[in-house]
Amino acid sequence: MWRFLAEAGAVFTKDLRTEFRTRVALNALGLFAITTLAAVSYTIGPYRIAENDRPFLLAALLWIVIFFAAMAGLDRTFVKEEDTHTAPLLRLSAEPLVVWAGKLLFNFVLLDVLMAILVPLYMVLMGFRVASTAGFLLVLVAGGYTLAVTTTMVAAIIARAMTRGALFSVLSLPLLLPLLIFLIQGTRAAVEGSAEGISDSLRAVVSLGGVMTVVSVVLFPVVWNE
Amino acid sequence: MNDLLGIMLVTLIIWAGLFAYVYRVDRKVRRLEMEDL
Amino acid sequence: MGTVLRWVLFVWMAVIIWAAFYYAPAASGFQGQSSRIVFFHVPTAWVATLAFLVSCIASIRYLRSRDPKEDIRASVAGALGLTFAILATVTGSIFARIMWGSYWNWDPRETSITFLLLIYAAYFALRAAIADPERRATMSAVYAILAFVTVPFLVFVVPRIYWSLHPDTIINTQGRIKMDSRMFQVLMGSLVGFTGVFSWLYSLECRVEGIRRRRQHEVL
Repeated sequence: MWRFLAEAGAVFTKDLRTEFRTRVALNALGLFAITTLAAVSYTIGPYRIAENDRPFLLAALLWIVIFFAAMAGLDRTFVKEEDTHTAPLLRLSAEPLVVWAGKLLFNFVLLDVLMAILVPLYMVLMGFRVASTAGFLLVLVAGGYTLAVTTTMVAAIIARAMTRGALFSVLSLPLLLPLLIFLIQGTRAAVEGSAEGISDSLRAVVSLGGVMTVVSVVLFPVVWNE
Repeated sequence: MNDLLGIMLVTLIIWAGLFAYVYRVDRKVRRLEMEDL
Repeated sequence: MGTVLRWVLFVWMAVIIWAAFYYAPAASGFQGQSSRIVFFHVPTAWVATLAFLVSCIASIRYLRSRDPKEDIRASVAGALGLTFAILATVTGSIFARIMWGSYWNWDPRETSITFLLLIYAAYFALRAAIADPERRATMSAVYAILAFVTVPFLVFVVPRIYWSLHPDTIINTQGRIKMDSRMFQVLMGSLVGFTGVFSWLYSLECRVEGIRRRRQHEVL
């Protein structure tokens, strides 16, 4: 168990270090998110949405920005291994699930960093305020995890295919559609302060995350070793 | 009433056409499978 | 599918078509005769879902046995599923236009069929992007399974939450009407017929694809 964690941690640290050297994924995510945010804020701004529509529309826009930023950068961790030809070495030196855990952690951290920058900016630029901060944070974290676990699987699938960038989005989006709906509703509930709405959404997101985790544990080795 | 009849007949014709087409494909596939044996 | 069975299917569907227009009554609460489209629309959606199920089962079996025949089954079922999903979306949209005046409303059923369409499209995009046959089979099988586990969430959980927040969304009233017994009979008969058509097309396509691959191997 500890050995597993240590090895996964090693994969994670390696990815983190490589990422810091070039900062490609972080830049892609960050730039995309900020550009989209600027566009949304400039065209719509904090005042142009009617008061009753605000919870829902602001929640929807937030998650759409996050999702599309995720599409811009979350496949990097696998694609980079193939491009730099380090994949075979990784396959030899680590168990598949160790690789999976390490890269999942990497994607999750990447998403968290993105959200840590994006959400406060969004709140400032769009006048987005939540009644229940704790609920909102839970939704963000749970959503981030489920998003990461799903995209990690898809990234592994497309890593050795052609037209990878577009394929990543095409494959991820259908799988993420239910998650998107749950997260938007949970965020809206957080804005309105509805504890029931938040818990409904959290239950759905967590169970989706759980299912995806189990499926990933079973199927990732198949994909990785192919 | 006539419109209904018309739509029904069109549907029937479409079905007959589809059936005939697939039937022909089926026969051709059978022939190909015989050849391969 | 034996010859007799095929002709039975032909007559069956011909009778269903007649019955859809003349045996079953037009449902009240619908515009004129437009409710009759239900006898064709519902079965196409049903077949699209059935095909998805077949595709997923074949995918699981492929991953266990690595038998190329299962990959054929998965991709053929997928292609048929895509076709029927498109048919279902189009017939549903026409119906929505007649009944409620707009082609699309994102009610839960419409959302589900769109989701299915996206999954199928993604499945074939993935297959097109991988050259090596074994890897293509494996990756698309994995994706099919991933898609399969997300379906319950979309189909069951979303509508529950969806309704509570969008009460003014136009309700697809099919589920609420207590069906006239004749309508029910025709609908069931149509379901059986469409399933028969699907299974015929499915087995036929599997054989065609099998021949195609065999011949490719011979050439190589």
